[in-house]
Amino acid sequence: MSDEVGSAAETEADSEPVDESPTLYERWRQIHDNESTVAALTILGVALAPFVLVTLPTQLGLPSEYSWYHNLLTLTLIWGIFALGYDLLLGFTGLLSFGHAIFWGTSAYAAGIFSANVTGSPLAMILVGTLTAVLMAWIIGWISLRRGGIYFAILTLAFGQMIYYIFLSPLGDITGGENGFTGVQVGSLFGVVDLGRAVPFVPEAFVDSWMYVFVGAAMILSVVVGYRILNSPYGAVLRAIRENEQRAEFVGLNVWRYKLMAFILSGAFAGLAGSLYVIQRSFVPIENTLNWTVSGDIVVITVLGGVGSLFGPVFGAGLYMYVANIVSGMPVIGEFWHMILGIVFIAVVATMPHGIWGRVDWLRDRVADAIGGDER
Amino acid sequence: MSLVGELVVLLVNGLQTGAIYVLLAIGLSIILGTLKFVNFAHGALYVVGAYIGLLITQQISIANGQLAEWGFPTLGLGWGFIAALVIVPPIVFVVGLAMERFVARPFYDRPDTDQILVTFGLAIVVQELIHALIGPRSYTYDIPSEIAGGIPFSGPVGVPLSAVTIDVWRVWVIAITATLVIAVYAIVEYTDFGLVVKAGTRDPEMVRLLGIRITRPYLVMFGIGAGLAGVAGVVGAPLSNINPEIGMTILVPAFLTVVIGGVGSIRGAVLGGTLIGMVQVTLISLGTVSLGSLSINFTPWAQVGIYALAVVVLLTRPQGLLGSEEVTA
Amino acid sequence: MSHDGKSVSRRGLLKNAGAAGTVGLVGLAGCSEGGDGDGDGDGDGGGGGGDGGDDYPALGNYPIDGDTATFGFNVPKSGPYSSEGEDELRAYELAVEHLNNGGGWVDEFEDLSGEGVLDYEIDFVEGDTATDASAADESASRMVQRDDVIMFSGGSSSAVAIAQQGVAQREKVLFMCCLTHSNDTTGKDCVRYSFREMFNAYMTGQALTPVVTEEYGDDLDFYQLYADYSWGQTQQASMKQFFEEAGWNEVDSVATPLDTSDFSSYLSEAQSSGADVLFLNHYGLDGANSLTDAVDAGIDEDMEIVMPLYNRPMAEAASGAIDGIYGTIAWDSQIDNEPSNQFAEVFGEEYDGRSPSGPAQLAYAQTLQYAAAAERAGTFYPPEVIRELEDYDYDNIGMGEETMRACDHQAQRAIPVVRGLPESEQEGGNFFEIVDITSRDDVGYGCDEGPAAECELGEYGDE
Repeated sequence: MSDEVGSAAETEADSEPVDESPTLYERWRQIHDNESTVAALTILGVALAPFVLVTLPTQLGLPSEYSWYHNLLTLTLIWGIFALGYDLLLGFTGLLSFGHAIFWGTSAYAAGIFSANVTGSPLAMILVGTLTAVLMAWIIGWISLRRGGIYFAILTLAFGQMIYYIFLSPLGDITGGENGFTGVQVGSLFGVVDLGRAVPFVPEAFVDSWMYVFVGAAMILSVVVGYRILNSPYGAVLRAIRENEQRAEFVGLNVWRYKLMAFILSGAFAGLAGSLYVIQRSFVPIENTLNWTVSGDIVVITVLGGVGSLFGPVFGAGLYMYVANIVSGMPVIGEFWHMILGIVFIAVVATMPHGIWGRVDWLRDRVADAIGGDER
Repeated sequence: MSLVGELVVLLVNGLQTGAIYVLLAIGLSIILGTLKFVNFAHGALYVVGAYIGLLITQQISIANGQLAEWGFPTLGLGWGFIAALVIVPPIVFVVGLAMERFVARPFYDRPDTDQILVTFGLAIVVQELIHALIGPRSYTYDIPSEIAGGIPFSGPVGVPLSAVTIDVWRVWVIAITATLVIAVYAIVEYTDFGLVVKAGTRDPEMVRLLGIRITRPYLVMFGIGAGLAGVAGVVGAPLSNINPEIGMTILVPAFLTVVIGGVGSIRGAVLGGTLIGMVQVTLISLGTVSLGSLSINFTPWAQVGIYALAVVVLLTRPQGLLGSEEVTA
Repeated sequence: MSHDGKSVSRRGLLKNAGAAGTVGLVGLAGCSEGGDGDGDGDGDGGGGGGDGGDDYPALGNYPIDGDTATFGFNVPKSGPYSSEGEDELRAYELAVEHLNNGGGWVDEFEDLSGEGVLDYEIDFVEGDTATDASAADESASRMVQRDDVIMFSGGSSSAVAIAQQGVAQREKVLFMCCLTHSNDTTGKDCVRYSFREMFNAYMTGQALTPVVTEEYGDDLDFYQLYADYSWGQTQQASMKQFFEEAGWNEVDSVATPLDTSDFSSYLSEAQSSGADVLFLNHYGLDGANSLTDAVDAGIDEDMEIVMPLYNRPMAEAASGAIDGIYGTIAWDSQIDNEPSNQFAEVFGEEYDGRSPSGPAQLAYAQTLQYAAAAERAGTFYPPEVIRELEDYDYDNIGMGEETMRACDHQAQRAIPVVRGLPESEQEGGNFFEIVDITSRDDVGYGCDEGPAAECELGEYGDE
C-alpha cells in the first residue's frame, strides 16, 4: 500500500538493476496492482479534497479566512505536479537543481504567447508549453550535467537567472517584461467546455468548476506516469545512480544519459505544471514564473513534503500553499509565516531525510507493525 | 565628456561594482575551498551587515514591521557611518563563528546537497526575520551629510584629467576592498596559520594525521569570510538600497565570482569580481552600437552578460580561471 | 434567511455566465466560494443585511454575507515604491475610519452618511504588491477569493495596477486605481471593472511641454532614461511625442530596470550624449536615487533635468537634488481649496502632523468615490456601481471640476505642474512650488484618440 516507491526498490538497486525474466510476470502483476491502487488513491484524494478541505470546514464553523478555497486547491495540484517532477530528479536521481523555474517559466510563456497568437485551446497550450520545457531541459541538461555536485546546482542557478534576465529585458517586446504577459486568451476545452463553468450534475460542494476537473485529471495522469517510470527498470537505474554513481558506471551504465533523461522528464512535468498555471491565471507574471525564487520554492516544497515518494511532494505543495496563502493572513504568526516555514525546512533537512510525509509513512508502518499487519 | 573621462567613470564604476562581489566571494571561496562547504547563507551575512550598519548609522522609522507594533516605532543609534564601518565587521565575524559552529559544522560530513539545503533554509529564515521585524521596505544610508564633517571623500570631486565628476565614495570602496584583500592574502600566504589552512585545502586527512588541530583555523577562516561579507554590506550600502531580499539577490553573482575565478583562490576571486563588475558596467554604458546596418542595444543585456560569462567559463575551464582543481565534493 | 435561495442563484449564475462565455477561467471559481451558504449560518448573525440584495443575481463577491463589507487595500509595502505604499495605506485606513464613524470628506459628500456604507460596516484587509505585478496579481486574487472583498484598491506601479485590473475584470470585483500613470491603464489595458482618478503620461506631456519649453527654450536636444515597464515605456513615448511636436529632438532613450539602486552607469551614457536636457522617467525610490546620482555626477551643471512625475516622499528623499526640477504631481497639500485643506488637516491630526502625499489623496478619494457610488446605486451589485461612477461629475476632492469619463474610465481633471525648491527653502514639509495648475480644458483627448483609441472596456457582467 505504501507509495514509498523508493524503499521498495532500494534493495534491488544493489543487485542487477534490470530484472531477470522468471519473475517478470509476477512483478508486472504486482506493479499493476500497485499502480491501480496508487491511481485509485490519487483519484479518491483529488475527488474528495474540495469537500474535505473547503466544504466541510465551513460546515463545521471554521472561519472562512482559515479554510481552503477552491482556487487554492487547484493551485496546489498544479504545484503538486511540478513538485512531483522535481522529486524525480532530486529524490530519485539525487540531483539538486536550482534552475527549475526555467521549465515552469518558459512553458508558461510559451503557452501564454501561443494562446494569444494561435489558439487558446487548453490542450494545445499544454502541448506547446510542455514541449518548450522539454526542449529547454534537453539543452540545459545537456550542458549542466557535464558538471556534478555543487557545480550542477550553481550552473542551473546561473542558467535560470540568465533566462530570467533575457525574458525580462531583451525579449521584453514579446514577453511584456516587468509587466508580465497580459494577453493570455484561454479558450474552451475541445471547443465546448468552458473551464470556468460549474460541472453539471455534480454538487458544488464536491467540484466547483471544470478547471478543477481538468487540473485534477492532469494530477492523476502525472502520478500514474510518475509511478510507472519509477517502477520500470529505468527507475531502478536512477536509484542506483543516486545510491552510488561510480558503481552504476562500473556496471556499464551510461550514467550521463540516464541523468539527462531524468532531467528532461522532470522538465516535462514542470512544463505541464507551468502551462496549467497560465491556464488557471490567464496571466504570465515574470517574478512568479522565471525568477529564481520559484526554483527555491520548489526545492522547499519538495524537501518539506518528502523526497523519494510520490505523494510527499504533493503533500509539500499543499502545506506550502496553505501556509503561504492562509496562515499568512492570520494575526501575529501571519507576519512570520515564511520564517516559520524556513525553520521547519531546516529541521526537515537536518532530521527527516524523507520529509514530513516520510514521517507519516514511518508512523503508519509502525502502527501497522504494532497491530500485527503485514504492510510490506 | 571626453573619452578619457568616460573611461575613468567606467573604470571606477566597474571596479566598485566588482569590489562588492570580491568581498563576498573571498569568504565563499575560502570556505568552499577549505571546508568543501557550500554556503547559501553567505548572502545573509551581507544583509546582517547592512542592517546592523543601518541601525548604527542612523535612526529609522519602522512602518510595516512587527517591532513597530511591539512598541518600537523607531530604531537605531544614529552614531554615524564611520562608527558603522568600524563596529560592523567584528560583529559579523562573531555571527560567522556562530554560523560555523551551529550550522555548518554539523553538516560537514553530510552530502553537499544537504549543505546547500540547510544553508538555503538559514538564508530564508534570516531574510524573513528581518522582513517581519523591521519591515519589507527599502532603506538608504544617508552618507553625504554624515561625512561632510572634515573627511575628504564627502562629495563629488573633479578629476583634473577631464571635466568628469566621480563619486569619491566609490574610490573609497575600491581602496578599502583592496586593503582587506591584501591583508587576507598575506595571512593565508605568509603565516603559519595560513599554511595550515592551505594544507587543509590540499589534503585535510594528512593534516589531521600530522596531529594539527584543524578545526580552529577553519573556524577563524569562516569568521574572516563572514566579516568580509559584513564589510561588503556596509561599504556597498550607500550605493544601493537596503531591504531583506538583497542577500539572496547578491548571492548569485557572488557565486558566479567564485566559480569564474576558481574555488579556493583569493586571486581568482579578485579576478572574477573585477571581470563581472566590468562586464556589467561596460554593457550598460555601451548602449546602442551600430555596425553598418546592424545596430545592437547592449544595455538590456548587462545582466545576461555576467551569467553568460559564468557559463562559458564553467564549460571551458571548469576549475575557474585561476583555480587549481575542481572541487568534486 | 434566504441562504438556500442565494445558493441556488449563485449556481444559476455560474451556468449562465459560463454559457455566455463572458467570464474568464478563474472568475467563477472565486464567486462560487462560500456559495453553499447553508454552512455560514453560525457566524453571520445579522443575515443578509439590508441592501436589497435579492434584486440582483450573485456576481463576483456580491452579495455580501454578514453585515460587514470588506475592502482590500493592495499597496507596495516593499520594493522601490514602498514609501508611497505606506502613505497610501495611511489614507485608506483613514477613509475606512471616516466611512464608519464620519469625519473628513465623508461629512461633506452628500451621498455618504458616516455610518458605514448601505448599512454595512466597512472592514478592510491589506496586501503587499511588492511593487511587482506577480505579487500584486497573487495578493489581489487572494483578497478576492479568500477575503471576499467587495472592492479592492491600490497601485503605485502601473504594471501592478494593470495586473490587478485583469483580476478585477475576470473576478467581477471592482478595482479603484490609486497611483498609476501609464497610458495603458486606461488605454490598451483598460477594463470595465476599474476606474482611474490619476491622470496619465499623455496628459503630463500636455501639461509639462508648454511650461518647460518656455523655461528652457526651443529647439533643444533631450535624452531620456525610463523605467522599463508599462509606465516608463508610455511615459517615454509621450514625452517624445509632445516635446518633439514642440520642436525638441530626442537624442536617445534608454530603459533601466525597475528597482535599480545605482544609476551611475546609465547616467554617464546620458552625460556623454551631448543632449541639453535629461528626462528622468523614474518614480519612487528609483526616482530619488536616479536624481541624486545625477546631481552627484554633476549632470545638473551641464544639462537641465526634468522629472515628469514626482511626489512628496520622492522630493523628501532627494532633498537638495530636487532644486529647480520641473515635474507634475497627483495632488499636493499646498493646493488651496476646501477639500484639499480639509484632507491635509484630518490626515495631519491622525498621523502626528504629517503632510499627506498625492498618492494618499488618491487613495482616500477613490475609496470614498466607490462608497458614494454604492450609496447612489443603493446596492453593492458591481454593474450598478459601475454605472453610477461612469460619467459622474464631481468637484469635491480638491482638484476642481472633474468628470469620470465613461468611454475609458479616465478622470478628466486638472494637473499641477511643480518645480522643486532649493534645500534652504524646503521648510514646513514643502519641497516644491506649484508653478501652474493646468486646466482640464488644456489637457486630455477624445474618446477616439490618444490612449483611449485603444481602449475596449469589456463586459459589465450582467449582460
